[in-house]
Amino acid sequence: MIQVIIDSLIRASELALIGVGLTMVYDILRFASFAHVQFGTIGAFVALSISLLLPVPPVLAIAVGAVAACAITGLLGILCDRLIFARLRDRAAAILMIASFGLGMVMQYGVQAIWGAGPRSFPLPLTRPWVFFDARLSPTGAAVIVVAVLIMLAFHLVLTRTHLGVAMRATADNQPLAESSGIFTERIIRIVWFIGAALGALGGIMLGLVAQLQANMGFEIMVAVFAAAILGGIGNVYGAVLGAAVVGFAENIGLVINWAPIANLLGLTSSSHVYIPVGFKMGIPFTILILILLFRPRGLLGRHA
Amino acid sequence: MLLKVDGITRHFGGLVALQDVMLTAAEGEITGLIGPNGSGKTTLVNIISGFLKPTSGSVIFDGTPIEGLEPHRIAQRGLCRTFQITLNPQRMTVMENMLLGAPRQRGETILQAILHPGTVHREEAANLERAWDLLEMVKLAGHADEYAGSLSGGQKKLLALAQVLMAQPRLILLDEPVAGVNPRLIDDIVDVIKLLRQQGQSFLVIEHNMGVIRALCDTVCVLDMGRVLAEGPVEAVLAREDVLRAYIAAGGQLEDEPASQTDLSTG
Amino acid sequence: MLDFLIYLLTVVGIYGMVSLSLSFQFGRTGLVNFGQVAFFMVGAYFSSIATAILGLPVGLGFIIAIIAGGLLGALMALPIGDLRQDYWAIATLAAAELIRIVFLNVNLGSDYVGAAYGITNIPGPFREYFTTTTYGYFYLGLVAVCVVAAFLILSWVGRTPYGRLLKGIRESDEVARALGKDVRVARIHALSIGGAVAGAAGSLYAHFVGFIDPQFFMPIETFLIWAMIIMGGPGNPVGALVGTLVVQVIYNSTRFIQFASEYASTMAALRMVLIGVLILLVILYLPQGLVPERRRRYGARPSGKGSANTGGGHAA
Repeated sequence: MIQVIIDSLIRASELALIGVGLTMVYDILRFASFAHVQFGTIGAFVALSISLLLPVPPVLAIAVGAVAACAITGLLGILCDRLIFARLRDRAAAILMIASFGLGMVMQYGVQAIWGAGPRSFPLPLTRPWVFFDARLSPTGAAVIVVAVLIMLAFHLVLTRTHLGVAMRATADNQPLAESSGIFTERIIRIVWFIGAALGALGGIMLGLVAQLQANMGFEIMVAVFAAAILGGIGNVYGAVLGAAVVGFAENIGLVINWAPIANLLGLTSSSHVYIPVGFKMGIPFTILILILLFRPRGLLGRHA
Repeated sequence: MLLKVDGITRHFGGLVALQDVMLTAAEGEITGLIGPNGSGKTTLVNIISGFLKPTSGSVIFDGTPIEGLEPHRIAQRGLCRTFQITLNPQRMTVMENMLLGAPRQRGETILQAILHPGTVHREEAANLERAWDLLEMVKLAGHADEYAGSLSGGQKKLLALAQVLMAQPRLILLDEPVAGVNPRLIDDIVDVIKLLRQQGQSFLVIEHNMGVIRALCDTVCVLDMGRVLAEGPVEAVLAREDVLRAYIAAGGQLEDEPASQTDLSTG
Repeated sequence: MLDFLIYLLTVVGIYGMVSLSLSFQFGRTGLVNFGQVAFFMVGAYFSSIATAILGLPVGLGFIIAIIAGGLLGALMALPIGDLRQDYWAIATLAAAELIRIVFLNVNLGSDYVGAAYGITNIPGPFREYFTTTTYGYFYLGLVAVCVVAAFLILSWVGRTPYGRLLKGIRESDEVARALGKDVRVARIHALSIGGAVAGAAGSLYAHFVGFIDPQFFMPIETFLIWAMIIMGGPGNPVGALVGTLVVQVIYNSTRFIQFASEYASTMAALRMVLIGVLILLVILYLPQGLVPERRRRYGARPSGKGSANTGGGHAA
């Protein structure tokens, strides 16, 4: 059980970082970006390359690489907005979605063209995981959780305690009103893209640290991120974190639960042990997403009905 | 009474948009609905036409309650509306817009279109005839093949009116029919509505332009902050002090409004 | 070389059918469906199961595929009424992947059938009457007939009052509702029609290639179909076919050039990057695609008619 919690927290951290960025972009620009997860892919690979180039101990190299990659990806986010989405501001949401889908593919295959399709790993030294109470926690996993929590806290402070945070929330609420109050909304939008992309990159790096890096890693996680953001209520960053926690937990606990009581009740089978096959693990976030959309699209903390 | 709005209340979270609103519209008459900005007119129109559900209260149309019904069901019963921002499909031509408005088309269900091509053909021809008549009335017959999006603001409003007439509704809810329209066209629109009324068409008109309200309406209902302030014959209501005060308090004006919004396109 | 060309053209034709289906569905309803591959997959699988496993004739398999695609379309359309468009787009993506995962994990019959092994020995229709080479021509002809049929059917639907209604709903569903139109039912039908055509394409594919497995139905296929219809211009069947041709040419262009194996995967990725960039350029600068939608012209009123009588009655 503790193992489940640990795995869930790690997964939730990855999803939360990317999900917060996704939901922020949605809040300000009102469209679901299908390219957002690719910031994670790009961030991870850029961090990888940088860390391989630096002649310093691996952990330091990775840390530096991560910071640099987040900054670079953040700038890339602004570039994407300037080049593409800014020019489509007055078009229908459908077009924005399709454009973001196309952009996402360009990013994913761009990564593949540069780094190849095969899996790669960060140059982490081999470490023994800590063991307690029957559960394993690797230092990497612990670092992921800690970093995610710290960043979320910092973000929360920015949102609530700084001028920037207030301006961001005002722009998200009512752009014309914010503008007439003297806020340079275009600049705020750029900042949101930077932060969103940088957070996405960080999420991807975390994912790469815990698992492997692959060109399609962003796409693989896309539905889970959407599930987290929508479950929490899209447009609400705290919701994204909450949703990430729930999805992360569900993914891990779903395989462990013995569904026999329910299966027997529904008459599906009479055996006493019914588990979801491992192959279906990927299907859990998909199912959650579809269920939310069918029954409560507003999510838990949603602002946009 | 063709339309009877009884005790309609609508909450949005903690905000009370409408409180206990009562309103009637008689057949063959033009009823006006006015009120300063934010008084709840649009919310009320949305509730009457089914685009919003009321928190409580009822809307009786032609003797049957319609509150909470889907908009298209209400429209099928004969209560149609236009929109404040002209929404009629911009990328369809004027004539296509008109044909879209025709009610109960067999051909609009794909199975029927396959099984009854003859009927579909006949209906199309009849609808086309009627569409031409209406287009001539609003002087848009020469623009039949133009995209609705390329018309001027006033022409779009006329098209919306003609389009909704295709549906042969008992009552038409006109949501700000002259907002943003070039003053020259305002007279045209008013004339068309007057003509239709002579032919027995009933209207409920929401407007800010007092000149238009005075010219068209038999009775008028005033909303202020979600409540009905006054209801009755036009001149009597507009002369009331409390109505005047409500408008001034909201920063509006009661005199005939000059063309404060110039229409930027042609016409 | 000629054999390969025949093979290529057949695949292009099949893709063309799926493009037609998405073009119809997106072009007519304006709903963004990122799960189009699901209809294709369901058609392919049901047709294969019916023929290779259950032993039914190919023609029946084809019909089953069409019905399956249509039903899936209706199913996907059901939640639209209450759901916003972007949520629905995500849901279609999730649904398509979910379906793929289900097929990936479910064994069909014996041990080595279904799941990751896919289905093999899918019979080709009328196979026994032809040699290997001439069968290629036959199948190309078959696909061509189907593409033309789909094209004609979908074009015709677009010209009916139903097609006009869909366009109206696409542009402004509030106005459609205010005019008394049942938007929900219209959308369900549209998605069913699109799904049925894509299902038919899936069946053609399965019987052509002879074996299928979940690897063929990844989201990349949906992406390619979208590329095709965006390039050609959504909503218009000619555009769908033009776009299919353009994208397929790019996609297959580098096959004819020999690269050292280490560059092969890079070239494959660059092809996709190019397609993606083209999509973005088209969206930014050529929003109508290469083949813009044509409008129906009514000309002027035939003379001799016309009166100002417009009340509840009809023209004199």
